[in-house]
Amino acid sequence: MNRTQPITLLVCALGGEGGGVLTEWLVDTARHAGYAAQSTSIPGVAQRTGATTYYIEVFPVPLAELGGRRPVFSLSPVPGALDAIVSSELLETTRQIGNGMSAPQRTLVITSSGRTLTTAERMQPGDGRADAQRLLDVVKAFSREHHVFDMGTVARDAGTVVSAVMLGAIAGSGLFPFPREAYEQVVRGGDTSAPEKLSKMAAASLRGFAKAFDTVGTPRAQAALVTRLLSSQGDEAPVQPTLSAEMARAFPPPTHDMLALGHARLVDYQDETYAALYLERLQQALAAERASDPAGAHGFAVTREMARWLALWMAFDDIVRVAELKSRASRAQRVRNEVKAADDDIVRVYDHFKPGAPEFAALLPASLAHRVTAWDRRRKTPFALPLKVGSHSVAGMASLRVLASLRWLRKRGSRFAEEQALIERWLAAVVQGTRADWRLGHELALCGRLIKGYGSTNERGKRNLLHVIDHLAVAPLPDGSPAARAAAIAAAREAALADEAGTALDATLMRHGAPPRPVIAQPIRWMKRPPAATP
Amino acid sequence: MEVSFSKEIEALRLGAGDTFHGEGILAITKGLLQSGVAYVGGYQGAPVSHLLDVMVQAKPYMDELGVHVEACSNEASAAAMLGASIHYPLRGAVTWKSIVGTNVAADALSNLSSPGVKGGVLIVVGEDYGEGASVIQERTHAYALKSGMCLLDPRPDLGVMVNMVEHGFRLSEHSNMPCMMELRIRTCHVRGSFECKNNLAPLVSTRALMEEPAGFDYMRLAHPPVTFRHEKLKGDERLPAARRYIAENRLNELIPGTHADLGIVVQGGLYNSLVRSLQQLGLADAFGATDIPLLVLNVAYPLVPEQVADFCVGKRAVLVVEEGQPEYIEQEIATLLRRRDIQTPLHGCDMLPAAGEYGVEVLATGMAQFAQRYLPQHAQHSAQGWLVGNRERRAAVATQLEAPLPARPPSFCIGCPERPVFAALKLAQQDSGPVHIAADIGCHAFGTFEPFSMGHSILGYGMSLASRAGVSPMMQRRALSIMGDGGFWHNGLLTGVQSALFNGDDAVLLIFKNGYTSATGTQDIISTPDDEMKEHAVDKQQSLVDKNQTIESTLKGLGVQWLRTVHTYRVDKMRKTLNDAFTSDFNGLKVIIAEGECQLERQRRIKPWIASLLKKGERVVRVKYGVDEDVCNGDHACIRLSGCPTLTIKDNPDPLKVDPVAVVIDGCVGCGLCGENAHAATLCPSFYRAEVVQNPRWHERLLHSVRGAVVRALQPA
Repeated sequence: MNRTQPITLLVCALGGEGGGVLTEWLVDTARHAGYAAQSTSIPGVAQRTGATTYYIEVFPVPLAELGGRRPVFSLSPVPGALDAIVSSELLETTRQIGNGMSAPQRTLVITSSGRTLTTAERMQPGDGRADAQRLLDVVKAFSREHHVFDMGTVARDAGTVVSAVMLGAIAGSGLFPFPREAYEQVVRGGDTSAPEKLSKMAAASLRGFAKAFDTVGTPRAQAALVTRLLSSQGDEAPVQPTLSAEMARAFPPPTHDMLALGHARLVDYQDETYAALYLERLQQALAAERASDPAGAHGFAVTREMARWLALWMAFDDIVRVAELKSRASRAQRVRNEVKAADDDIVRVYDHFKPGAPEFAALLPASLAHRVTAWDRRRKTPFALPLKVGSHSVAGMASLRVLASLRWLRKRGSRFAEEQALIERWLAAVVQGTRADWRLGHELALCGRLIKGYGSTNERGKRNLLHVIDHLAVAPLPDGSPAARAAAIAAAREAALADEAGTALDATLMRHGAPPRPVIAQPIRWMKRPPAATP
Repeated sequence: MEVSFSKEIEALRLGAGDTFHGEGILAITKGLLQSGVAYVGGYQGAPVSHLLDVMVQAKPYMDELGVHVEACSNEASAAAMLGASIHYPLRGAVTWKSIVGTNVAADALSNLSSPGVKGGVLIVVGEDYGEGASVIQERTHAYALKSGMCLLDPRPDLGVMVNMVEHGFRLSEHSNMPCMMELRIRTCHVRGSFECKNNLAPLVSTRALMEEPAGFDYMRLAHPPVTFRHEKLKGDERLPAARRYIAENRLNELIPGTHADLGIVVQGGLYNSLVRSLQQLGLADAFGATDIPLLVLNVAYPLVPEQVADFCVGKRAVLVVEEGQPEYIEQEIATLLRRRDIQTPLHGCDMLPAAGEYGVEVLATGMAQFAQRYLPQHAQHSAQGWLVGNRERRAAVATQLEAPLPARPPSFCIGCPERPVFAALKLAQQDSGPVHIAADIGCHAFGTFEPFSMGHSILGYGMSLASRAGVSPMMQRRALSIMGDGGFWHNGLLTGVQSALFNGDDAVLLIFKNGYTSATGTQDIISTPDDEMKEHAVDKQQSLVDKNQTIESTLKGLGVQWLRTVHTYRVDKMRKTLNDAFTSDFNGLKVIIAEGECQLERQRRIKPWIASLLKKGERVVRVKYGVDEDVCNGDHACIRLSGCPTLTIKDNPDPLKVDPVAVVIDGCVGCGLCGENAHAATLCPSFYRAEVVQNPRWHERLLHSVRGAVVRALQPA
């Protein structure tokens, strides 16, 4: 009985990446090279960005030598019986390996290092991204041989789509017994004219094909490319601000980088005196940490984290800050790059603002601010001003600059006072906690992460933080030991970042014997159909 | 639709001596023409959409042959179309997605099967079952049994498939039974080749018309009392005739094997998977030479009792490989063996799973049991090693990953006009409280996935409004029904709107008017903006669905009093309109038409247009949205309100901050949703809209340079 088996290839792609074209290319290549081949796919709703797979089988013996016999090909990929998996997205590669597709003794895996994040990963309030390193480890662990490179970048550089790159990778791997020319011939669409005469599209496809062919075909080139890509990953690294001598003396080295960034941020945000206040507050944290960990066994992590989160909170976002950031020349340039505008293209930039009463009240002294917010609360719907400010226009830029120049007003504003009070409460809690138990202080310091953004997001963050401080750090708990409190706070912080409704947070709070957050009133348009009238 | 099938249409013209290379479903289409089909109809749906799409676009060639092609309004009208073959010698073919389409067509199919057909009838159904299926998991087989139709399930080899199409028509004519042909997803998309024959122009056609209608013949009516006679004919004449034809023409394939005392009966469609699983067990070779004899049923119904009996008699055991439940074939074989008192042990669902797709691994697992029991001397070490290896590997990967990987369901396209409505709906429910949402079939069903996760029920295509009729009278707050224009014309207009109006229901219906049946491949419908409109549109980037008012006029004509039309991208307006509908004092049917053309179709129109303008060096304005990374607060509320593939996240460039920031990547089509959401939901002020003017006019340049100078003067570094 003849034991020769077909060569099997599973292709994983996302909708709209040309997987269909790729399989057509492969089947045509096989035909022109004189081999029996078959492809199948589950395109389904592929074009709708879902994950999709294509499956190709090629019989390794030329048709001419089969004496009229025709191999029976499988329509679906057989787990553990694949010779290769080629994939344009790292998570999808890992998914197929998780389905048992790849056999370490047999399967060659060629995958893009690129990630197209799933909605579930993108929508988390914190960072919901899957750990790419962990995904790569699976690829390494469950493949006979693996090639990893950023197919998306190669495609962009060549000005083509990822399907051409995947074809090049397959050809370069030598999986099928076809010569390189056979593939290229098909990509040319039988067009034998010289490269310069080729259609733009075919030429681009061939460039992408060649790049991937060499990448996979010649490991050295691949290594070089990978390193180049890696180096290009961390593009312009932010310039590290320098630390004044006495600041350097006042704080232990492990905190210096954060300290320098934080200090610079506050000078940029407000002024030297405000930055000085920052240092002074940080000193309190440092003193507390020195008391509970004189040896610095924890590398002054509390102070370091406070240097980060204190700076971010003190530089709270308001319309003044936003106007400042949006009216910088560097920003205008960044936008030009992001939208890939050519030099002689004109770029018009419209910024979406919707300042409400609170935003304006923030800059007014408390008494006035209260009146404004009270007026706003009386309205049926809260006042808000939807604006599209053309920061490319004179009027637009001028108004942004005027707003940005209101820095002096910020310090006199009601919000400034409120924020400072809250910051002090948090700082006090951190200091107290640190003195009681280093870990407790550390967890409280990390809670600075809960404070971010504007308007409702910012309000929510502050409410959560205060609730955590009041009920987990201070108020009596079933288990009031510092260690237990630290654990509870850590859990609460993670939960607070899990969902915006705070369902997870409330659950965690209650689990640790603390009350859930009070429900805040929200106006609802009520419509109640009356039940059928009884005759 | 803007997709072009010119290449496929060329393939349809191939004749004797040519070799066809391409996908299964196109091969079937070619097979229809080789069989001299006179009329073709159907309703689109994966995996058979292409059959109709290609034929519709091939109209000029169809006219040459005299073949009539009808894009029917639903499967029922497609099935009813087959009535032409009751009286006249016309070969007709229709196609749709099963099981759903067959359910819709059921009434007409019964009334077609009862009198039976004179001209051959072939119903090509996409058996959307198992992996990648987008509908409920049920078998079409049941319909063949209950209505008395033949069911072809050809081996997935293009040559065999085309051959079965040609036989299908003859079988139908010999037996007067309509024939169904079930094609699984992968069979429709399999790429292979076959030797072509010439296409046959039908004798009676749109070019050669009949002069007179058939004479009156009560026997041709599905109406008592003749229906009682029909019922008898089915068993007395039609089935025997069908069986004779199947046997004489060897439609089912007998493949001998060395172990003549064993046997496997397999549905034709599963042949390849079975052979591969036998290969894995070392019981077959790459060319299908097998140790165990096979009876391949290219016709799954009716079976030929003699053929099955002859195959089974004297064997130590027979295994029936049949996908899906109930196991109709296995039961029928069991009965006929019992009736003939044949004692051959019969296996099937006792060794193979009753439900789910029969992949190679599943089949091999069952086959291994069968071999274990009846071929104990056959070594299975390598096969068992392979199967165990798979199980262990899956477990190992799971442990190494710790958490399961996030799913990647399909979602709204970049710039889809339906996404903004779900954003508005999310916001509206914050104002007037959560509502019961009756969902429907179509792209908008993606609203059931993250980040929206909306919808309480899906009862069928166009059924949403009808499916809340029992809910809304029982609930204090109003229920919302969501329907696409595809579903509206498919049957929502009658089952939903007409019923709600007649009963004076207090209901809210939102119709997505995107202009096409997008989920099935953007086929045109009666409310699609016509081509002249697209031709003459000055700005081809605009949505053009507002140019066709068929839906509005239909609703008004039917008596809908509360009707609002909102452009879908106006999130705030849509939010207000929804709130009005939920809280209005008007207690009748309230209809909101969410207007916005399918972005796929728009892009297919826009891309070549823009390219041509740039080629001519003309002015083009390109819009892209963006996020200021230093202003973004890293909370991702914008993503929870959009889910657009181009609105994603990246590492925070600010070394102080840790949470990733939102970023708009290449591919953004500038639909405007980001800005609309930023305003409607008061998101953080990090969003900007950038308009890139290519080839600007001279006065623009002048203005820009002057303006630029001043702006730069104002800007700090």
